[in-house]
Amino acid sequence: MDPHTSVARSPFSSVVQKRRSKSYRQSYRSYVGTMSHLGYTPGFTKRRLTTCRLAPKRCSTAEINPEQRALLVREWQLSYVTPLYRFQHGHLKTYSRQLAAFLVSERQKGVAAEVGLESTLKVTFTLVAGMAQTEEEADTVFIKIHSKTPLARPDDPQKVLWSGWLTCVGGDPDYLRTVPEDFVCLPLFCSGGTEGLTALVKAWFQRTFDCCFGRLEINSVNLQWLAALWTDCHARTSIKQLKLVWSVPAEPPMEVIYAMHAQDASELWRSVRKPGLREEEDDGSVGLEEVACFFKGLKSHFYRHFRVELSAGRLTQVSTALGSAKHGGRIKISNSSYMITTLTLLTECALLKMPI
Amino acid sequence: MSLLRPLSKLPDINAASVLLVENEEHFQQKLADVMVNEKSVMVKVRLAKSLPLPAKNEQNRPRIDLVVFIINLMSDLSLQSAEASLKHLGQGYFLGKVCFMVTNARNAALPAERMVAVRKLASGLRCPLLYAEDQTPDGVTNAAERLLVILRVAAGCVPMTTALFLSNLTRCIVPTEEEEQQNLDFDA
Repeated sequence: MDPHTSVARSPFSSVVQKRRSKSYRQSYRSYVGTMSHLGYTPGFTKRRLTTCRLAPKRCSTAEINPEQRALLVREWQLSYVTPLYRFQHGHLKTYSRQLAAFLVSERQKGVAAEVGLESTLKVTFTLVAGMAQTEEEADTVFIKIHSKTPLARPDDPQKVLWSGWLTCVGGDPDYLRTVPEDFVCLPLFCSGGTEGLTALVKAWFQRTFDCCFGRLEINSVNLQWLAALWTDCHARTSIKQLKLVWSVPAEPPMEVIYAMHAQDASELWRSVRKPGLREEEDDGSVGLEEVACFFKGLKSHFYRHFRVELSAGRLTQVSTALGSAKHGGRIKISNSSYMITTLTLLTECALLKMPI
Repeated sequence: MSLLRPLSKLPDINAASVLLVENEEHFQQKLADVMVNEKSVMVKVRLAKSLPLPAKNEQNRPRIDLVVFIINLMSDLSLQSAEASLKHLGQGYFLGKVCFMVTNARNAALPAERMVAVRKLASGLRCPLLYAEDQTPDGVTNAAERLLVILRVAAGCVPMTTALFLSNLTRCIVPTEEEEQQNLDFDA
């Protein structure tokens, strides 16, 4: 390590203006303008500031179709997906057959082929209508894997081994327009079922559509957004209680479960939201400062009573009657009315996390 | 008077003293152990959890040449405590004698908003922002070396250079919207 002799040599931070080349597909991150984690912004970024004003928390109307209802049933594990090459919504039946064949062949790898009573797999790809917000967004695709024994009669209920869905809800339209022609952008992938089957399905997608999957974690700021948006909905649909789980790095590590009545949380939220704002003036947008202020109030209240500083810890889980979200990327949506808002936020997380 | 002032005491010959302020009191100890091994200048390291410093040590304390705020990006409290401590620093320090050091910047679970907030803080105060890796001994050594460069200048041990001059070269810059737009037009 050579000692620094000349003082003027080392600009530690960010005046670096890279003018060398401009990539044709600007990454979503550079488009929206969040800082890369390494701390300096490449020269051609920052069209807008980081999302400090998340879109309206307007509720969607109550008619949902049965396919959408299937999304409410269980807890999903989230991943992000890069755009799919030549994925056509018209060929879903072909895809189901191909995926079923792939799964069966993977299962039989290394095992002597048996003929007879072994159960086979049946895969269905269905379109879930009504989720796309703009014309540029692709429709949501729902995938289900049933197990089917050859002896079963056609009207026997089939056991669902695995289900998952690919979606893009409320993605940034400017970004979606830059996606090239052959690619379909469905950045959010939710899976529910065994790890083995999830891995196989991802492998098939990677092989067929040349895409990449990756873990999507919900960081603490996004969990705060979700908590605030759900609390905001309390005026229209009761959320019963707001439960927050923090992990505090004390000796031994402490987990704090902070649950409060929906009414109290809602009152605090309303007092934070531009006090004096009446229903008519509400333009529906929520700012990041309001969310930060809401949480500052919650944390200071906790500190006053228990002398535990929650800022030193990490928010790991948020749950209300509308749904629950965990830091590890698990989400459960329990109520259909605010599904679109939650999914918009998650789609945005997925788009930001994608490496291209 | 609880404000810390840079020029209220006499300097020592070929000596430099640095104050490391960190809420978690974890990284500062490691840095201090490496920094005192410096041979060209006699380095005195003072550690603190936050400002203001206790008044009873006022007499024994040497003149502080550089104040370094160490912020752990994984904890919100760290940033809040650093911001609260800034109020207890005299204005003379902001002419190149304050530095921000940030750890855990590469963590994937880091919310981007916090990084933006730290950069805005550093650029608003015209201070350099250093990124440090605190888990490995190599990382600690690197961070200590970079701090020593700034420290030597701030203590006046480098001829023809002052802390203010250096801070102009090394300060954190967050470009505004208009500047970004100009850069984009230049590229196209």
